Amino acid sequence: MTKTPTSVFRQRFSRRRFLGTTLAGMGAALTTGLPKVGLADAKTVRLGMNIPMTGDYAPWGLPGLYGCEIVAANINAAGGVKIGNDTYMIEMASYDHGYDTEKSVQGFKKLVLEDDVKMVMMLGGSTVASIIPWAMRKKMLTTTLLPSDITPDTEYLVATCESHPLYNVTGVEWLADKFPEAKTAAIITTNDIEYGKQSAATYNAAFEVAGIDVVDVNFHGFDVADFAPIVSSLLSKKPDVFCMATDVYTTPIIEQLFHQGFKGKIVSCTCDGYLDVIAKTSKEFVEGLTFQFPDFDDPALTPDKADFPDPAGFDAAFNKDHAGEWSAVAWEYPSILLNWIEAAQAAGSIEPEPVLSAMKANSSPAHTFGPGKWWGADLWGLDNAVVGNWPVVAINDGKARIQEYRSVYDWLQNNAGVLKKHMQALDLRTV
Amino acid sequence: MGANKLTHVAGTAALLIALVILPGHLKYHHQDFIIFLTINVLVVVSYRLMTLTGEWSLIHIVMMGVGAYTSALLSKNLGVSVWLSIPLAGVSAGAVAALLSFPLFRMTQFYFLIGSFAVGEAIRLAWVYFVYPFGGSSGINTIPSPELFTIDFMEPIPYFYLVLAVVTLCLLILHRIENSRIGLTLHAVHWKSPLAESVGVNAWKYRTLAFIIASIFVGVAGALKVHYLGNVTPHQFGVGTMVFVLIWVIVGGYNTFYGPILGAIVLSILDEAFRAFEAIRPAIYGVLLIAAIMFMPRGLESVPGWFRERLFRKTAE
Repeated sequence: MTKTPTSVFRQRFSRRRFLGTTLAGMGAALTTGLPKVGLADAKTVRLGMNIPMTGDYAPWGLPGLYGCEIVAANINAAGGVKIGNDTYMIEMASYDHGYDTEKSVQGFKKLVLEDDVKMVMMLGGSTVASIIPWAMRKKMLTTTLLPSDITPDTEYLVATCESHPLYNVTGVEWLADKFPEAKTAAIITTNDIEYGKQSAATYNAAFEVAGIDVVDVNFHGFDVADFAPIVSSLLSKKPDVFCMATDVYTTPIIEQLFHQGFKGKIVSCTCDGYLDVIAKTSKEFVEGLTFQFPDFDDPALTPDKADFPDPAGFDAAFNKDHAGEWSAVAWEYPSILLNWIEAAQAAGSIEPEPVLSAMKANSSPAHTFGPGKWWGADLWGLDNAVVGNWPVVAINDGKARIQEYRSVYDWLQNNAGVLKKHMQALDLRTV
Repeated sequence: MGANKLTHVAGTAALLIALVILPGHLKYHHQDFIIFLTINVLVVVSYRLMTLTGEWSLIHIVMMGVGAYTSALLSKNLGVSVWLSIPLAGVSAGAVAALLSFPLFRMTQFYFLIGSFAVGEAIRLAWVYFVYPFGGSSGINTIPSPELFTIDFMEPIPYFYLVLAVVTLCLLILHRIENSRIGLTLHAVHWKSPLAESVGVNAWKYRTLAFIIASIFVGVAGALKVHYLGNVTPHQFGVGTMVFVLIWVIVGGYNTFYGPILGAIVLSILDEAFRAFEAIRPAIYGVLLIAAIMFMPRGLESVPGWFRERLFRKTAE
């Protein structure tokens, strides 16, 4: 029987199996006092990160590098990964573009031509747009966290982990199920296209599908110093749900909601700094605040739900070395790294083209929260984004905890037309 | 030709020859680096022309954006040849500068600085607000590269030579302007404005002229940049970028033609050299900047003179 790429995947690699191997390898190395397993014969494969490590966007870059270094160190300690007939150590090569398009181009070329990386991980937006012509021409496998970067011409650009902001639909769907009395919502977001408007369109669609009327949407610039008048204006419409479609100003906005006595439900795309929010408001006020990104010590990240090796161990290792620097990208880039290993093992090669082919040939690619599906042609012209389940997180007694996993893919299968309508209403690019 | 002039010509020729040879000996990403650096040289030198009148503005980088957007829209949406859209970018930036000069030059000095910032931000935010035709915050992507025979201008070395040729031509023109009667009048408007006006010099007209000329050249610089990058966004022309231009000019010195060039080159290379320090790189850059301002208040342009002076003193002793 001919082995399909999918069957090869299943035989050779699963992240849980990989975890077992890793821990066994580490244990063997520790107990026998031997040097790292197989190091003498191992080759090295470099994977690149062209990300912001300084400037305003650094929280969406640097923690990801730290996360990848932890995962790579664990893999290497266990003897590396077997790809084809060779064993490889993983090495991360990074370049700080500071969210500057010029530096992004320089960084991308440095990583590809000088560091000989086999994949480049990026955040997304204009820094991806500036490298696209060259990257596609050189057929370099590139990843983004913003699937809206995908166009019909970006064959080598994939979004295999975060599909910002599609996952937001799960939070609204869950809220509507749990709190059917919520009938109206107000949305606040930044006025940029990459993050703010994409997210607003997604929330608009999710609320429409959930039967919740959006009574007002505020698009504000990045230079707002005082959110009091904006929040007052939105609260004057008496929404049952207050929705923050992007996270940049989560803390000052929730502070305003607290001071202005908001009693309804709060939904946010992310809330990485929720401990700060609690410190500035109260534990009682943020109780039930719903968002989309779990802490990795969450007990609900069980092996049957989360395809990520030892999430709690990863969380502990990260916070030991980089306390206070956690953000969602801390686990997202490592997750992409694991996607790459999976595809490289299936391809039996580390070269970008066969790895991409293996990735795309897998109709049920691994995703952080369970198997996913390739999607995106309906919206951006190419099925190069992986969507699957995504957790709905809420704050319970001062701690972010996963409430439930819901399927982004199922929602999109049923409601892609609604999403497209709202994207077009905000002049966002769709096919 | 005097000996001094001959030295200058020989020095410039040697520098140009070195620049022609240089890219083949650089790492790949440094080839990109010198493309952007060469474009930035045109940005700072054109800015200095503006400062000759004594007016410092915060709109210069936005005028670069006007050129960049013009060339991007003409070449991508209207199919205009890039070879034509680049000079038209300069014309467009100059025309916008001419229009803006009416409100802006009702102010001088600090008020002009603030006014130029406000107008610049208004233009930049218009690029964010109007998704059509400017593409909003994500700007315009897949902007075409120039085409000429079989030359591949997406590769850095051919594009560097194009940029080098255009920037060299622009610098020659700017140098000629500064050393012409117009340039002398610009100096007069700065240092002896009442005296110049008393002999019939229209200071407003010359300030406007300097603003328009500076904008034309920085518009060309913007066009050169976007046809290599392939995209243009409002983010590229924010006040943060303008602050870098000011730093380059101030640290380099603005009393000579080459001062800002030195500033742009030295500081950009330092920034690149400290890349290995990752997150603490801005702090190192800041410390160096403070040290440069403290110990070289007249800018990097004073360093050759300082060396010359020491050499002559030693020879005399």
